[in-house]
Amino acid sequence: MNEPATRQQPTSEPSQVATADGHGTVYGRQLVKSFGHRTVLQDVDLDIESGEICCLIGPSGSGKSTLLRCVNGLEKVDSGILRVNGEDLGYEETDTQYRPLSKKQVAAQRTQIGMVFQHFNLFPNMTALNNVMSGLVLVKRVRKQAAAEQARSLLAQVGLDGHENHYPSALSGGQQQRVAIARALAMDPSVMLFDEPTSALDPELVGEVLGVMQQLAEKGMTMLVATHEMGFAREVADSLMFMCAGRTVEYGDAREVLSNPREQRTQQFLEKVL
Amino acid sequence: MWVLCVLVFLAIAYSLVTNPRYEWDVVAEYFTAETVIDGVLLTIMLTFVTMFLGTVLGILIAVLRSSPVMPVRVLAGSYISFFRGTPVLVQLIFWFNVAALYPDISIGIPFTDIGSEVDVNALMTPIVAATVGLTLNQAAYMAEIVRGGFNSVPKGQLESADALGMSEWTKLRKVIIPQSMPTVIPATGNQLIGQFKETSLVSVLGVADLLQSVQLIYSRTYETIPLLIVAALWYLLMTLALGYPQSLIEKHYSKGTRAGTPVPLDPALAGAEEGR
Ligand SMILES: Nc1ncnc2c1ncn2[C@@H]1O[C@H](COP(=O)(O)OP(=O)(O)OP(=O)(O)O)[C@@H](O)[C@H]1O
Ligand SMILES: [Mg+2]
Repeated sequence: MNEPATRQQPTSEPSQVATADGHGTVYGRQLVKSFGHRTVLQDVDLDIESGEICCLIGPSGSGKSTLLRCVNGLEKVDSGILRVNGEDLGYEETDTQYRPLSKKQVAAQRTQIGMVFQHFNLFPNMTALNNVMSGLVLVKRVRKQAAAEQARSLLAQVGLDGHENHYPSALSGGQQQRVAIARALAMDPSVMLFDEPTSALDPELVGEVLGVMQQLAEKGMTMLVATHEMGFAREVADSLMFMCAGRTVEYGDAREVLSNPREQRTQQFLEKVL
Repeated sequence: MWVLCVLVFLAIAYSLVTNPRYEWDVVAEYFTAETVIDGVLLTIMLTFVTMFLGTVLGILIAVLRSSPVMPVRVLAGSYISFFRGTPVLVQLIFWFNVAALYPDISIGIPFTDIGSEVDVNALMTPIVAATVGLTLNQAAYMAEIVRGGFNSVPKGQLESADALGMSEWTKLRKVIIPQSMPTVIPATGNQLIGQFKETSLVSVLGVADLLQSVQLIYSRTYETIPLLIVAALWYLLMTLALGYPQSLIEKHYSKGTRAGTPVPLDPALAGAEEGR
């Protein structure tokens, strides 16, 4: 949680230096995002260290998804500083200016950030194996043979060996979500984003997905997780942010916030969901 | 209801068989006549060539139609509106007479002597005008079909592709196009069948397609009805023949939907897995 103070302002230090020590970190200051006249994120700060698990909680429409989508560049923040893996997301800092990156460069940054969606979003026309291979083959240009091998071992890691040739439609929601996690992991990201990964699942399938996520956390992956699973937040998360109407209401140590919420709105929310 | 249908059917059949003016013997005689077969071949060729070129051009226009650059979008949109909003027959006659507008065009590198002058009048033979006209018109319809297909791909799929860092081109080829096929293929099949029949319009330009071939014969023999039956039967035969490959292709692209789900390689293993 203690971010080096030197990161407070955009400095003119060369970005390579930031990359070297910023691997697996997310750093946001005063992030603002609006859709038309609607301000969806207002002055949100984020400080996530390498290996940290941060949970985002909050009522529907509070901006959790939007924040996650900003962190991997699916949405562009209107203002604020956003650095992922030590690099300014979507921008490049030269000595004289702050200019947008090309599509190709943004895509390259994205390969370092894994995203898992609420509705899995697997490619329905590809088998589980091909889904996991897709990033390797189509983006990283890894040879098919090597990619398939890697994909197999990732599927085994999420407990899906034997399901390589199944199409998503033949898999349960929990299985699809685990394939989606394997697909994101295939890119070897330094940060993983999860947008309510278990909200679309039948209750009995939630455990298998949370299990995979917990394993991942134990391996030291940096994770930013929007979730309604308070049990997961309590057991696995290091830090926790409670958002409401686009603002950070409370942000701090996960157990601390969950057991001793300081803000009244946090208390009310926790009473309702627990 | 059944009885009524059977009665109507019998009445038509009775008339077809007993009315001597159908001249079924003449139909049989000309059905495989050389000029008719030549016409059939030309119709088939014209259909497939214009359909192919029209589809390629249509995909291009569909891509331009969803370009982030506004003038490009407007240009593509205008193309589509123009060619869909005017009759094909008018377009065909227009292309045949386009030499009146542009008597000759020069092809070559501007401001140099390299290149050559083309006499448009000589170039725009009936068959060329027919090909150009049908292609450009088809492209407008295909562009709309392809665009509809692109739009049918759920937004989450595009976000998945983006999140993996796919380039726009890869995303188009590997995510958007395969997933728009289930909507694009049936529509394209209908379009192809439509194009088969639409080619008959080129007879007004004097292109020796199926219709023109039978017209040439009956203008000589006055056996109008039997020869039109010959043409109609051929068109019917060809469009029916297209239905089968279309259903095969549709099956191929429904891979991954419920119907196309493969059996697990090892049922025992799959069963164990479900128990988790
Ligand atoms: N593309 C968009 N255009 C306009 N408004 C949007 C867009 N995306 C999100 N919003 C709005 O932003 C607000 C925050 O949405 P967001 O999806 O981030 O909330 P959330 O916290 O993820 O909620 P949920 O728990 O329902 O997923 C909502 O009011 C939503 O209507
Ligand atoms: Mg959400």
